[in-house]
Amino acid sequence: MALLQMDEWYDLARETNWTPSYVSEDELFPTPMSNTFDIPVETWETFDEPYKVSYRDYVKAQRDKDVGAYSVKAALGRSEFFKKASPHWKALLALHFSAVCWAEFHSASAFARMTRFSRSPGLRNMATFGTLDEIRHGQIQIYFAYEFLKHDAVFDWCHKSSKTENWIIISLRHALDDIAHTRDATSSGIMLNMGLELAFTNLQFVALSADAAKCGDHTFATMLQSIQSDEARHAQIGEPVVRIMVENGKKKEAQQLVDIAFWRIWKQFSALSGISMDYYTPLEHRESSLKDFVDEWVLGQFGRTVEALGLDLPWYWDILKDDVSSFHHANQIGIYVYRATQWWRPISGTSPAEREWLEEKYPGWNETFGKCWDVIADNIRNGDYEKTVPVAPPLVCNMCGLEVTGMAGDKWHAVDHHVDIDNRRYHFCSEPCKWIFELEPDRYKGHTSIIDRLFDGTIGPEPDDFYNYMGQSIPERGTDGYEYRWVDGYDSDDVDESQPLRAAG
Amino acid sequence: MADFPLAINVQGDYGYKVIVVDDAATIAEVISTSVEQIVSVLVAPFPEGTVLRARIHGADEPLANGLKVGDANFVQMEALEIYVEP
Repeated sequence: MALLQMDEWYDLARETNWTPSYVSEDELFPTPMSNTFDIPVETWETFDEPYKVSYRDYVKAQRDKDVGAYSVKAALGRSEFFKKASPHWKALLALHFSAVCWAEFHSASAFARMTRFSRSPGLRNMATFGTLDEIRHGQIQIYFAYEFLKHDAVFDWCHKSSKTENWIIISLRHALDDIAHTRDATSSGIMLNMGLELAFTNLQFVALSADAAKCGDHTFATMLQSIQSDEARHAQIGEPVVRIMVENGKKKEAQQLVDIAFWRIWKQFSALSGISMDYYTPLEHRESSLKDFVDEWVLGQFGRTVEALGLDLPWYWDILKDDVSSFHHANQIGIYVYRATQWWRPISGTSPAEREWLEEKYPGWNETFGKCWDVIADNIRNGDYEKTVPVAPPLVCNMCGLEVTGMAGDKWHAVDHHVDIDNRRYHFCSEPCKWIFELEPDRYKGHTSIIDRLFDGTIGPEPDDFYNYMGQSIPERGTDGYEYRWVDGYDSDDVDESQPLRAAG
Repeated sequence: MADFPLAINVQGDYGYKVIVVDDAATIAEVISTSVEQIVSVLVAPFPEGTVLRARIHGADEPLANGLKVGDANFVQMEALEIYVEP
């Protein structure tokens, strides 16, 4: 018997629902998990995803993707690529794998909640594929990353990192807990799909894949492409959810969910993709900056999508435009100077030639963030290595968990936003981080940053207590990936402490 | 006498840092501690004769150098800008 064509049965299967007889509707779909936002279930049942796929076709496509990615890996497995890779690329790989592998499992959990608790049968169907996608993403990345373990113990952190209290992990986990683990299925559908996947995964998977190919890391490039092809499909779940909300008088609620998730995830990608693109990608293979990519894909493409869905651009759009040119530059300084708190080997990415590139892409960089790097390079050239690490810890944002930073150097501008509750001061790196907190203080106020934990006694007073708390033995504390050789290209004139070192060239 | 944590941002630095001072310390001593920890680490030494002042983040007026931390009505982790007096 001939099989029906997909379009002959798909809509019927997708819209199939049932009436529970053993339990009530409320028991089957409790509001905390299945929030309908007071929109009738019949309306949710009209959910119509733009990308339709059958399970048979899904499995075939995924099998083909896996065959492709694993074949490239097997073919190149014996290459000396990793051994010959620069400290730039090794730092990038370590940062990517240790931040992204386990984050995929967070997404799998959110999709599984949508699969179980969404009121739209079509969404439940698509979320099933999303769950499988994300499990695959976690598995393939951990599998690929662990190949490097024989070369470098840093890659043990690709899985382990999620279980530690390292400050960067706390930052990422807090964001993912907020949007992926602790929201109802409808909210997760908007926050995860719109705020994370549709808005930002292009940055880390498409842009980085292109850079990887240029660097000759074809295994990494193929793996990233394989993942992004899934993201591009299941990210579209969020759009019909938003459309139903907007068309049924819930624009304000949908807008708020997008605005919260977008900013929380922007902060994470700003650090992850921003540092990877503008500092860790080897200069000879670097073309576009974070700002270039954000201009095209986020401010442009995502912005147009949001407006086409009937939402407004997030209220902080102008703040975002400024943040794109500053936040990750400031945080890169912090990542480098507090390098012992990282598990990988951070690099400065500020050789004279790299500074030229940064100045070209971010006019004024040398007179602002470059001024801090002048002092750091000066200390290294003088052999004052201890001075390259501040004694004072950084202030950390009580929402995003990253450093509270402003503008450095000649255009110095201190930035801090705060809220006082119950005799505790909460600091924020930005107005949107503060805004998110103030929307639901009871939701967020119990969370403590790594700095709060230093002062509330959670972390002991001895220096090693801090590292032990973060799960970092001495060999697991980051050191300069170039062992300070990056200053070799600096002007060789005698160093005068009263005159900060300037980049040559 | 008790430890008192403050957030400080020295002019030129890229972000806020946290220092711990005695609540009997004066603002002048807070400035001195901040300079000790940040200048020549992330900020180039200021020219000789530079006068640094401290102000609560966002305030227009400097704090008096003789004011003690414990008398300043600060909350713990108060944010202070350490800036060059124009």
